[in-house]
Amino acid sequence: MLTVKNLNSGYGKLQVLYDLNINVPEKELTVIVGPNGAGKTTLLCSIMNIANVFSGEIIFGGEPLAGVVTHKLAQKGISYVPQMGNVFADLTVLDNLHMAGYMLSKAEVNDKSEQMTEIFPVLKAFIYRLAGTLSGGERRMLAIAMGLMKNPKLMLLDELSTDLAPIIAERVMVEIARMRDELGITILLVEQMAKRALEIGDTAYLLVSGEVRYSGKADSLLHEPELCSMYLGIKQASGKDADTKLSVLGEGSENS
Amino acid sequence: MTVNESSGGIFKSLIASRITYVLAIIIALLAFLYFTRGLSIILTILIQVTIFSIITMSLNLESGYSGIPQFGRVAAVIAGAFAVGAIPGRIMAAFMGLPAGAEYASDTVNFRLVPEINTLLANSWLMSLGFLAMCLVIAALSGALIGWLISRPAIRLKEGYLGISMLAIGDFLMWVGHNWSIIVGGSVPVNVPDPFRMFGTNRFTVIVVVFFVIAVLIFVYLNKLTQSPFGRNLRMLRDNDLSAVAAGLDIVKVRTQCLVIGAAIAAIGGGLYVIYTGSVAAIGLTRLTFTFWPWAYMMLGGIGSNIGVFLGVILLTILRTMIIIFRSTWFGFLMAVGIDPLWLEFTLLGAVIIIVILFLPHGLVPEKIAPMLPSKRIKKVLADRQVVSG
Amino acid sequence: MAPWLSSGLVYASGLALTAGSITLLYIVTRTFNFAVASMATIGFYVAYSGVTLYGGLPYLYYPLVLIIGAITGVVCYYGLNRPLLYRKAAETTLMMSTLGYDLILLSVIQMYADFLTHSYKLFPRRVTMSLFDFELFGERAAAFILPIIAIAFLTILHIFLTKTKFGIAMRATIENPTLAGASGINSDRVYLVSWIISGGMAALGGSFIAMAMTGTPVMGMFIIPLMFAGAILGGLGNIYGGILGGMVIGLTEFAGVFILAQNFGPWVLGYRMGIPLFIMAATLLVFPRGLSGIPLAKIIRNLFRRKRGARA
Repeated sequence: MLTVKNLNSGYGKLQVLYDLNINVPEKELTVIVGPNGAGKTTLLCSIMNIANVFSGEIIFGGEPLAGVVTHKLAQKGISYVPQMGNVFADLTVLDNLHMAGYMLSKAEVNDKSEQMTEIFPVLKAFIYRLAGTLSGGERRMLAIAMGLMKNPKLMLLDELSTDLAPIIAERVMVEIARMRDELGITILLVEQMAKRALEIGDTAYLLVSGEVRYSGKADSLLHEPELCSMYLGIKQASGKDADTKLSVLGEGSENS
Repeated sequence: MTVNESSGGIFKSLIASRITYVLAIIIALLAFLYFTRGLSIILTILIQVTIFSIITMSLNLESGYSGIPQFGRVAAVIAGAFAVGAIPGRIMAAFMGLPAGAEYASDTVNFRLVPEINTLLANSWLMSLGFLAMCLVIAALSGALIGWLISRPAIRLKEGYLGISMLAIGDFLMWVGHNWSIIVGGSVPVNVPDPFRMFGTNRFTVIVVVFFVIAVLIFVYLNKLTQSPFGRNLRMLRDNDLSAVAAGLDIVKVRTQCLVIGAAIAAIGGGLYVIYTGSVAAIGLTRLTFTFWPWAYMMLGGIGSNIGVFLGVILLTILRTMIIIFRSTWFGFLMAVGIDPLWLEFTLLGAVIIIVILFLPHGLVPEKIAPMLPSKRIKKVLADRQVVSG
Repeated sequence: MAPWLSSGLVYASGLALTAGSITLLYIVTRTFNFAVASMATIGFYVAYSGVTLYGGLPYLYYPLVLIIGAITGVVCYYGLNRPLLYRKAAETTLMMSTLGYDLILLSVIQMYADFLTHSYKLFPRRVTMSLFDFELFGERAAAFILPIIAIAFLTILHIFLTKTKFGIAMRATIENPTLAGASGINSDRVYLVSWIISGGMAALGGSFIAMAMTGTPVMGMFIIPLMFAGAILGGLGNIYGGILGGMVIGLTEFAGVFILAQNFGPWVLGYRMGIPLFIMAATLLVFPRGLSGIPLAKIIRNLFRRKRGARA
């Protein structure tokens, strides 16, 4: 669905990504992991045309995206949930949802926001509160809901679990997996919580210093002891109980 | 290595050729003016060029090198102009036993006093020289004082806030001078004793030479200053004030020093201006002439480059003068509908600012980022260190 | 009404609109708009030309003032501000660029004044616009009408910003341009609309101010420090702060000059500009973020808490 070919990009004169090749298959969850400063967020910003693309191609659904303005990308069905500042703090939750569905028709917006409050019941209780007064976890829920508002074909999620309490982070992860399974949305997830992300993901890329160091099945990356310990801080022993965790996740998603 | 050097060479030669072109245009225009209008117009242009070069160099120190949005350049110019209008004349009057108090500035007294002082100055070149030196010192001191006063509340403000505050202070000073007649006569301009009286008809030529020497001295001083560690601090502050603080730089101190030095130099410019015109009209010291035009000169010439400042001043001064001189011959079509072509000066000023920002963001002569020390000295210092540590 | 109050209200409504215009543009585009000076003067000359050439009351021409002010804003946006915004120019560069635009507008105004003098035998260089006003309840009508127009304008603006989809999108862009872009909001359109609104506001404010002071081609240039003082006093954080700041600056200038002149003599009039600047400086010393930085809600909450505490 999304193909990145030989991408060189960065900010201003500073190059961050070098000859990057990434493929995001349809209706799958692709995970990008890597240490700090590897260029994970820059990759998403390059796709959204927020960072500067020096050379290379980004193809979405057979269409090249080079030079397309950010708001046009949103209209093409790509929705981006940034790591920081992913809600409008000065607007109410409802206005946030309406803004997220900016290019939908009025009826669609109402339908969709109804649907979102059903998926995320937390939001229903706070619908007229300013988004700035929500707690960290509620904000992430709102951010994901805003990402879903657009009927996206592709969602770019940037480090949704950072600075969340472990329990909340786990719930966010569960929601993401459910989005793929139940709504059939293609997802490109950038994640610091590498282990959980690799457990729920289908394909994985390990990004180090702006270059791809590993690509392939997500759970098989967990079985690469060197890469895991060097770049992701995952001890080898945890690789074995990955399967059991996955089954737990399955139950969790049905319950919630 | 070789690639770098050759590209540097191309860059240098590009700038050099640009400077040559601009100089050629300037000389051609000056020659044209000389043959159509005579020498006096050239002298007028050159005097203005020296005065505004001084003011613009001071602006360049503050805004170009240190990134302070100095939109109140006129404040320091006013300080210098008022000081030269008010103090040296009074000192001379007191010295000669003439009224030197509040009545000095009143129009009925002042127009009889100043000619008497002038006669004294005309008879003694020593006295004239002393008077000029006194004017310069007083102007610089009052400029430094006003610079320090402005820096106190303003220095902690951020970009836009700082610029607007300084702009307001400049305007306010002008109104004080215009209304408080004790300083420089208020709405009736006070006359300034003329230290160049003794040269008679050659007055303008001498003024050009003397002012030019002063401008060159200031140029050399500023060059030394910006190449010194202090200059490096200023650039650090401009490029990233946060990391400058992190590196242990006292922002408030450096900025205050910069504002004080800049204001002192601008005040010298203001003092020279009133010595040249022979009177101080507060209402004429507007932000348009003494803040916005210097900004245009600096932006055209190249922010952070004093050679560029000189080119910018001279080019724009010639264009301004030409609009004034040729307004009836070139812009007759405007005069036919009753429009005074003098307003084109504003158009020129605005257009220059916009064109430079849009198409020539680095100006005619871009800032040259040179290492602070010659490489030989750096090597020597390093070698000495090794000897010591070894 | 006290003698200073009627002119003061007119003047303060004008300053409120211009300060609001500066604030709006600053929070949307990070541009300190110097051109507000000439935009205001243009507003005054549109009303003046209408009244002298076609007759009627100055109020009739305010829609035209709004339109022409908006046009000057659009020209500045497409010609100057847009390329610089896309280049991510520094705040000072943006400020200087509007200064250049302001000077060009100023020269156009001056030429237009010359043209009026020559072709229509008018005296457009010293205009007392209040002569074209009528009387209402023994006062100049402007003292009632202009504050009402200003409040109506601001109410419409408020409804636009809080109730309409595009208005909310504007607030969203102000707060977080990146996320707004990713949500499909066209920031280009938001910038354009803010230039239209702020151009209209500036011109309307200028035509108000001319009802309280002598209208000249350099009127805007003369009072722009006060417009900025109003905006800065408001804290440059939200439009309402800017409007309030302009109001405070305008009223205190008139009240202060009146009171001081009564006590110390008419020489105070020469320094009238100092009063609002002093108030700005004093306020910034106490509240470094201006009026909108005053934590009103917190103060009120604290008051109640103390009462509750006293009861307990």
